[in-house]
Amino acid sequence: MNHLSEEELVAHAYAEGDNHSVQQHLQACAECAKSYHTLGSDLADMKFAEAPARDAAYGHLVWESIAGSLPAYESRKSWFRGGLWPALSYAAAGMAVVVCAFLGGRLWEHRHAQAVSQNHAQQHEQTAVTLVQRVDVVVLSDHLDRSERLLVELKHADGGNAASPLGDEARRLLPANRFCRQHAKQDDDRALSTALDRLDHLLVELANQPEGLNSQTISRLQDEMNADGLLFEVRVLRSRQAASSTHSKGDTI
Amino acid sequence: MFRMDKNDQAAIRAVLSGDKEAYGALVVRHSAKLFRVAFRITGNEADAEDVVQEAFLRGYRKLESFELRSDFGTWMYRIAVRCALDRISGARINEDSRVGEESDPQQHQVQMADSAAGPERLLLSGEIGAMQEMAMLSLTPTERTAFVLRHMEDCTSEQIATALGIEPNAAKQAVFRAVQKVRRRLAILRVKI
Repeated sequence: MNHLSEEELVAHAYAEGDNHSVQQHLQACAECAKSYHTLGSDLADMKFAEAPARDAAYGHLVWESIAGSLPAYESRKSWFRGGLWPALSYAAAGMAVVVCAFLGGRLWEHRHAQAVSQNHAQQHEQTAVTLVQRVDVVVLSDHLDRSERLLVELKHADGGNAASPLGDEARRLLPANRFCRQHAKQDDDRALSTALDRLDHLLVELANQPEGLNSQTISRLQDEMNADGLLFEVRVLRSRQAASSTHSKGDTI
Repeated sequence: MFRMDKNDQAAIRAVLSGDKEAYGALVVRHSAKLFRVAFRITGNEADAEDVVQEAFLRGYRKLESFELRSDFGTWMYRIAVRCALDRISGARINEDSRVGEESDPQQHQVQMADSAAGPERLLLSGEIGAMQEMAMLSLTPTERTAFVLRHMEDCTSEQIATALGIEPNAAKQAVFRAVQKVRRRLAILRVKI
């Protein structure tokens, strides 16, 4: 049988370790039981002087002796030691301000971008309309200018060498005249539309002479032109167009 | 060992909020208990009083690190044990410088006889308690503190380990060595009687 060591006996005396197995061994082993009894006696004899009694007055004396050397803590109540809620409230308020500022900024940016985009679209549309109008004005002015010159040449023509350039010029003016007629009808400009109709008839006559322009044909066309007052009408329209063009430029600028 | 008092919590909060005087209530409330353990470890009334003051000074400086869920009395008890251990360790260094190595029991015994009453004289005068105190002087500071906490303060090995900052097994060993040494000293005494 293995006897208990002194360390095991000491641990058992202080109620530590495997008390159940040690207790069983002590009941079975007289030698260990004797050693344990001796140990118990020794521990019981170890009675040391009790500490002198100290009352509440002693505590006051201790406090008086150390109070002077203690610096006061700085107040930090509002944050951690003072409670968690105030600190959390400040943090939440700060977060709310940041979030609101962020969302407000995003919203303003979005709306501002939309407004800018709409303005740009309107400006583009207006610009396009203006450009188309200006192109129409330029084309019409140019057409009326060239037509006036053709009519002046026709007025003073007497056949021969001058007839050939008139037919060529008439053929070149026909597409522009049809384009201008179409726009005049779309704009419901009756004066212009009527004048361009008559001009179209004259240009067709000038352009489509299989044998060329002879004196008789020129004379007949001069009579038609004078009877309709076509040259005068073209000059009036050209003046009107020139005035309209000047007004339009002023608006654009 | 101690029960956490709500008054302790309130006082600690007040101290940390700048009310230094609130610490006075804690000092008054716990001084007597700290003095008792300090006296048992140092074996000296004057040293015990110094230990109590030093413990409360350390406690005040470390109060910011104190967890309010913990027991202030237990916390201060550990600080006082450490202070007492420091005190007897310092005393032991001074003593060792005078009497030589503690590892030489024979030499130590002789040197102790020079500074205090010898065993024979003690026996003759019937001062058994004084002899026991001398037996305690043969212990290392850690052994003495562990023994006091185990034998007189009824602390468990875990509590001793926490107070001394060592492993529970080391605390158990320290208690055992202390008991062993004291028993041998007292055995010599019994033989001579």
